[in-house]
Amino acid sequence: MKKLALNLMLFISALGLSQNKLPSITLKNLEGTTVSTTQNFIEKDKIYVYCFWATWCAPCIQELDAINDVYEDWKSQANVEVIAVSIDDARTNKRVKPLVNGKGWEYTILMDTNQDFKRALGISNPPFTAVVKNGEIVFTQNGHTPGSENQLLEQIKVLK
Amino acid sequence: MKKIICLTFLFSALFSFAQKADTTKTKVKVYGSFERNGQWYTNDKNRGINQDTVPLRANNYFNVNFNYKKFTFGTQVESYMNEALLNFNPKYKGTNFATYYANYKTKKLDITLGHYYVQFGSGLALRTWEDRSLGINNALRGAKVVFSPIDEISFTALYGKARSGFDVANGDVFGFNTDVNVSQLLNVEAFDFKYGFSAVSRYEKLPVAVENFSTFTNLFSNRFELGYKNYYVNTEYVFKSRDAIIIQNILDTKFAKEGSALLVNFGYSKKGIGFDANFRRVENMQLLAQRNLDNYPSLSSTSLNFNDKILNFVPSLTKQHHSNLANIYVYQAQFQVVMDESTQVNKFGEIGGQFDFFYDFKKGSALGGKYGTKINLNVSSWYNLKAKFRYTNNAGENIQNYQAELFNANEKYFSDYNIEITKKVSKNFKTAFTYINQYYNNKQIQGIFNEFVINSHIVFSESTYQLSDKKSISFGLEHMWADNDRKNWAAATVEYNHNEHWSIFAMDMYNYGFDHKTLTISETDLFDIHFYNFGTAYKKGSTRVALNYGRQRGGLVCAGGVCRFVPPSTGLGLQITTSF
Repeated sequence: MKKLALNLMLFISALGLSQNKLPSITLKNLEGTTVSTTQNFIEKDKIYVYCFWATWCAPCIQELDAINDVYEDWKSQANVEVIAVSIDDARTNKRVKPLVNGKGWEYTILMDTNQDFKRALGISNPPFTAVVKNGEIVFTQNGHTPGSENQLLEQIKVLK
Repeated sequence: MKKIICLTFLFSALFSFAQKADTTKTKVKVYGSFERNGQWYTNDKNRGINQDTVPLRANNYFNVNFNYKKFTFGTQVESYMNEALLNFNPKYKGTNFATYYANYKTKKLDITLGHYYVQFGSGLALRTWEDRSLGINNALRGAKVVFSPIDEISFTALYGKARSGFDVANGDVFGFNTDVNVSQLLNVEAFDFKYGFSAVSRYEKLPVAVENFSTFTNLFSNRFELGYKNYYVNTEYVFKSRDAIIIQNILDTKFAKEGSALLVNFGYSKKGIGFDANFRRVENMQLLAQRNLDNYPSLSSTSLNFNDKILNFVPSLTKQHHSNLANIYVYQAQFQVVMDESTQVNKFGEIGGQFDFFYDFKKGSALGGKYGTKINLNVSSWYNLKAKFRYTNNAGENIQNYQAELFNANEKYFSDYNIEITKKVSKNFKTAFTYINQYYNNKQIQGIFNEFVINSHIVFSESTYQLSDKKSISFGLEHMWADNDRKNWAAATVEYNHNEHWSIFAMDMYNYGFDHKTLTISETDLFDIHFYNFGTAYKKGSTRVALNYGRQRGGLVCAGGVCRFVPPSTGLGLQITTSF
């Protein structure tokens, strides 16, 4: 009974909360320059799409490939920037740079090598997408299903 | 204790409702997450498995953080319902505060008291992190200060004891790190140069009679990154001072050696093409937050088997495949020293490398077709270090020693040659094909002496067909031809996505072609059966709920360079994850 109560409480408290501000995290970009989530990506009214991914995550790569195919189209419809946050640790993070270039992705890449950003957003597994406008997380998407990039575009258009 | 935890939840719930109702007035931000991994272990007649004595188990993680201006406070409460899931560290028991911290952060200063996660360089000298699926959480509990006077320079100083279960390990850990962006500091634009240095020290008292190594074990890491146009090279060298080695799960205080790691990485990349080459040599680089292991005789395991009390990270530099069959013979980096006279398995570290090549055949080109074709070639090969060694010293005492050669390799541990081609055939149809060739030396990696060298060829094809705007179906087909051990495997996966919320999947793995005469079938890992798994998932926003039923293979599971037998299981799983 106690356990049930505990679980119930966990669930209620989880439902009751809803994050809005993007936490302040310092991490490196692909060039090794330090950037901050609250000091660097802050253009007013611009829509930032943070896509958490890893080189070993097939649906993540599928999602970023799919967005890359329509990225020009997205940009023509809204002031939007996709930030692909790699959660690869030291095992695989050296593969990030050649993979990104080899795939011809146009995104800003951030390296969340010890997963501080991932942890701060409470993400369990990639892919995970957080749409941020004026420092507020306005939409999140857990996982990727083929075609969900279209729904993401709908969200972006609504926010524009 | 439980009451406090319940109150915390209640408080957070109430607080957040209040906060949500009036976000403009209160400046306190609340965020966190909840994750539950539950399992109901069932009987499985065909496999001769009886339900576990504790059939219902769940690992729960509740993380909540409060931020007010420059201050953040947070805690993670973990609750292992009945008991932790099978194969998790038995020290994860009950419900308790697992980590807690207070942080003050400005642009230049970042101070944490309590538990924190940190990584110096690539983690060879120090890394604390959380991986819930592997049961890793070695957060340091103490204090950490990061000071960045200017953008180009940062300093970190820290002290702490590593988390182990709901407790901490014995060793005191001290660390210092600095990273300098030299080219930016000197306003050089022709090339890019960064330098980093770390020092890590672990202090732990020694028994009175031990004098051949110090109470302090020190590690020093020097590293740089150089970038010129589209080329880059980065390297890290770590030296570990003399410390006793664990031999057959027991700290051998008469056998103390220095350790080292050298990592060199070189690459080139521009739009449409990229390559990267790694070289790494590692010798005696095991670093634990406490010298002695905890022994669990009833589980025939030690704390090392549960990745408990680890302090550094020496990953396997091989491609992490998502094919099911390519994950049967998985390489584990061999950074530890093993010397065993009875089995003649002697390992001193590893030497080898990895090469990756990515290329994008442009849309409209002959090989690219209408939508483009992407290709990845990956090659890795890892060997034992060649060394002179002896089990007894000149006086005939059982004091072991070895001397490893610098760049000479000995017996091969593992290699993986693979190619992956991804192609979008039409607007609605995507396909990928992978071929993998692996060599796996089971004697060296897992200590198995029967039929131990396995050469395998794996083909893996996956396709996704978009049925409508939201509906899609994916198929995966795999086959592995292996010349030894359990021989061949076939596997298939099908997944249907009904819309952005609902999906279902089913998969099966089947093993065949083995010879009963040469291979004794282990009761812990029968394989003349189907390893099926099916389930469904619902997701909305940041919440995901997934249910699955199926069989988990038992047998040897290796992580962090150590292997242990895990019991086979069949059952129903429930995963809930959400963040707020």
